[in-house]
Amino acid sequence: MLESVPAERGVSSRVAFPCDLQEARDATRMLRAFLTEQGMDESEVFQCELCLAEACNNAVQYAAGARDPIVAEAICRENVVELTVTDHTPGFELSAPSGPLSAEREHGRGLFIIQSMMDEVHYFRGRHRNTLVMRKTRTHQQHRSMDEATVASLDDARRQIESCQQTISGMARELCFRSESLAAIFRCCAELGRTSDIEGFAHRLLNDLLHLASADWFVLRLLPTGESRLITFAVSSPELRREPVSLERSTEPLSAELAAALTRREVELDCRHNAVPDEPLRAAGAQAAGLVQPLLFGDKLVGTLAVGRREADGPFSVLQAEMIRTFSEFMAVQVVNARHLEEQVHARLVAHELDIAHRIQRALLPRSLPQLANFGLAANWESARQVGGDFYDAIALSEHSVLLVVADVMGKGVPAAMFATITRSLLRALASRSHHPAKLLRRLNELLYEELSSVGMFITAQLVFVDLAERHLVAASAGHCPILIASGDQVRTLSVTGTPLGILPDATYRQQSAKLPAPASVLLYTDGLTEALNPAGEMFGHDRLADWLRQNFPRARSTEQLRDDLAADLARFRGGAALRDDQAFLLLSEKFSVLSAEPPAPPSVSEPAFHLTEFGPPASSAFSALSLPPTAIPHPQFA
Amino acid sequence: MKIEHEGNSLRVSEIAELNAVNASNFRDEVRAAMPAAPDSIEIDLSQTRFVDSSGLGALFALYKTANTGNGRERVTMRLLNPRPSIQQLFELTQLHQLFEISRR
Repeated sequence: MLESVPAERGVSSRVAFPCDLQEARDATRMLRAFLTEQGMDESEVFQCELCLAEACNNAVQYAAGARDPIVAEAICRENVVELTVTDHTPGFELSAPSGPLSAEREHGRGLFIIQSMMDEVHYFRGRHRNTLVMRKTRTHQQHRSMDEATVASLDDARRQIESCQQTISGMARELCFRSESLAAIFRCCAELGRTSDIEGFAHRLLNDLLHLASADWFVLRLLPTGESRLITFAVSSPELRREPVSLERSTEPLSAELAAALTRREVELDCRHNAVPDEPLRAAGAQAAGLVQPLLFGDKLVGTLAVGRREADGPFSVLQAEMIRTFSEFMAVQVVNARHLEEQVHARLVAHELDIAHRIQRALLPRSLPQLANFGLAANWESARQVGGDFYDAIALSEHSVLLVVADVMGKGVPAAMFATITRSLLRALASRSHHPAKLLRRLNELLYEELSSVGMFITAQLVFVDLAERHLVAASAGHCPILIASGDQVRTLSVTGTPLGILPDATYRQQSAKLPAPASVLLYTDGLTEALNPAGEMFGHDRLADWLRQNFPRARSTEQLRDDLAADLARFRGGAALRDDQAFLLLSEKFSVLSAEPPAPPSVSEPAFHLTEFGPPASSAFSALSLPPTAIPHPQFA
Repeated sequence: MKIEHEGNSLRVSEIAELNAVNASNFRDEVRAAMPAAPDSIEIDLSQTRFVDSSGLGALFALYKTANTGNGRERVTMRLLNPRPSIQQLFELTQLHQLFEISRR
């Protein structure tokens, strides 16, 4: 196999051949032809050919029986010729020439010749791979003119044509080789997309790199998102692991990896010369040498990749270093991709949980509200993206009495929805036993306290017992929003203080009663209404809600219409902004057919009763609630 | 490769290469053709394009063979017309001290 390709600022030719002296000789002849093509003079070509022959013969001798081919390569640059021979054997000892060779000495003559003729000789020993790199500075630079290229004989012409053909087919093979490497990377990517096993992927990719760069160890350490510590992620052998190291507390002199991470530049490591005393990469070997690359994504540091050899006599070749750089870039992209993938999976799981919570929440809202004589019930519930635990209920206790419930389970997601379910069930079970909302709340708290407090959750609830025949109501609250009672053009706020459920083990509750004026409307709601924000960041607020009711109640034609109008105005106020919290409200209203037949409510209904703690603003402030300046302040729940 | 005898002298010519592949054959053939007490051995390298360390080793082995006698005079070994680059190689490896390198 012969490949001839443009190398970095030069051209190269590569021959792979089986372990055989004749094959080695043929290979060096091909490289000789290539070097001659490059315009080198006879003396230089001979020296290169000879050194290649010596190196190849050595490789054949040491690699006898090896299955992998030996690879010889010649790279011609402007000023230097680089010759490399790579074998897959335990290698040989390259020692510096001790002096002129005595004529009688037969052994070691080959290496002596190489070291004498070349300007630079490096021998890189890998675990299964050794590369002899020979460099020679070109003294005679000449570009072959047409005259020099004149063929001396038919044989020469044939040889030149053959050489050209080999060069062309070599280039084709090189293209093939590169596309195969690309294909391998794509395969790895596809696999990665399916498994998200970034660690296994890193091991496979970096082991490939070791093979390609004739290296024998690697250390990949990553900087987790939001951290400033390098944490070992993948290593070629366990002794290269180390404790996470902070980028912040580092002091001079820096280890190779820290230097690469902090300077964001490639760092050369040579444990024999430039390493700090406690260099962690010394774990690869006292003679270890290699390169440390920062893994960068844009200008973001992702980690570091160190690749090297346990016993190296010199640095990586230009081509190998470039390969390490390419793999580092690729690895950085993969790490970032994997992180994005992980975030997506997490987001999907969260979305799934939210979906379950939504279903539970929807299931626990009453499918239909009780039918009451002369009164209508209507409710609205809008769920925010992040599920809370708002719910409402209306439990008919008799033909003329009903228990109205609006509650808000603090917390989000499935647990909140579960507690909402439990609370609703308990209330349904308890409601028939007592018509005293305060007692119900106390009992609810007793039943729920342990579970709620153990998970740090609590529930606010507003219970209103309404006797429609007697036209009075009794309200108790566990830290929940007040209720609004509208009558005529007046709105009263009935606020009862109380501790949320799940805060105190033996909480007791107060209750307050009020007369139900005629005609009347009662609004129970959750703080999602009053704390809704408009695009300017203003809160809807308690006052605005009270004003809204005052203005709209007298004009309403039905409970459903009142509910729809409120829902629509709340949506308009929000102005397209996403709902931050659940919004739930429950409306009880005098049937409007009855209402419209009657005259407006007499002034007497606004007469304050001693047990009504608060009153709405005076009726004279008639306006459009939704265009009000943000004077509204959310009603304190924990009064 | 051509091997000629002229009395007790041996002349070897038409050698294209002396390399790892053919060096031991070359050595064995010349050794076999070598007279018991050679006067001189001449190796014509004018057609030789390439010599490597194995080739040098073969030449060195032949020198030893020719000079392994009982107190006899040293046998003249002559390398004829090597190419300049090959002559440089001989000089580099000190072989020129054993062989007489001549041009004709």
